[in-house]
Amino acid sequence: MAISLDKMNQPQDVVYEQFEDLGQQQETYVLGMWAFLVTEVMFFGIMFLAYTIYRWKYQPYFYALHQELDWKIGGLNTFILLMSSFSVALAVHFHQRKMKMPVLLCLGFTNLCALAFLVIKLLFEYIPKWNKGHYPGPGFSWDSTYIPANIAQLWYSLYFGTTGLHALHVVIGIILFSVLMFLIAKDHPIISDYLPTEMLGLYWHFVDLVWIFLYPLYYLMPK
Amino acid sequence: MSEHVHAHEHSHHITPFGTLMATFIKLAILMAATIAWAFFAPQILGNTPISSVINNLVALGIACVKAWLVIQIFMGVKFQSNVVKTYAILGFVWMTLMFTMFADYGTRQWEPVQGWTPGDTQQALPRADQPYEEAIPPRSKINIPEGKH
Repeated sequence: MAISLDKMNQPQDVVYEQFEDLGQQQETYVLGMWAFLVTEVMFFGIMFLAYTIYRWKYQPYFYALHQELDWKIGGLNTFILLMSSFSVALAVHFHQRKMKMPVLLCLGFTNLCALAFLVIKLLFEYIPKWNKGHYPGPGFSWDSTYIPANIAQLWYSLYFGTTGLHALHVVIGIILFSVLMFLIAKDHPIISDYLPTEMLGLYWHFVDLVWIFLYPLYYLMPK
Repeated sequence: MSEHVHAHEHSHHITPFGTLMATFIKLAILMAATIAWAFFAPQILGNTPISSVINNLVALGIACVKAWLVIQIFMGVKFQSNVVKTYAILGFVWMTLMFTMFADYGTRQWEPVQGWTPGDTQQALPRADQPYEEAIPPRSKINIPEGKH
């Protein structure tokens, strides 16, 4: 069967039997996604709390340590995530209007942005730090005369823990977006309305939200 | 089931393209504002402990406005029912409670913990003979030259 790219071919807006109507069905999906996002807020919240407690204690050291991070690289990644968030919002918009090709283009652009985010993070942040031994663990090496090694380890634990957890979410996002694009392109019956795009979009906006707070806290720390 | 198909085709809200575009532009402007603030704030506020607090509050305030825009428009909570709105604020209410409770940490002396002193150069080793309060100098006594770490 030839794959059509110009419009959604599968039956759209199917109401499943356990729901009263389409409105209730859609609300249920979105509510379930938000319940998941609440657990995600709790998950990341504890990382922010650990950061707050230790920065409160070691602010002068943390300020000196944060100077290793490049605000330009962080800013570029912030903008890339912002663009990807916008394009997911557009994908939902086009899916609601049942325009198949724009949905696929928007999701594809989002995936590109997510990949770019990871590549920039690896090449300009993680790998240089790893080579210098600036990571928490047995290979940690530190030769500063100003900052005690244990406080530096604490900083790198927080940095790699928080941004690493965020990067893991980006990786999961890329996998899920790829699957969603494949299913939409194939007119798979599981995509019976725009809700799969909407729910994945909620997830992706949340990933963007986390970065909105991470960026000023880690890259633009005041003295 | 078939009679339900297309019964409520237009029950959902479609956020207009213009609204999404405007939100994106607002977010980009606020991002630029965050960066600009980080560089100009020290010149405006000077370099006192309270200026650091104000600097942080403004930076996080901008981040909150950005988060509000993303949640309301991009995530579409503005156009959802009240039960979805309730769930959307639930996590942030919990965050507020958690931070309020842990503000306790800022008002107390930390308990001395063996092996967690700045004297250790490579790893944490027990140093029972060194009092913790002496090991961590007060904030005003820590002087790290600019750009050195």
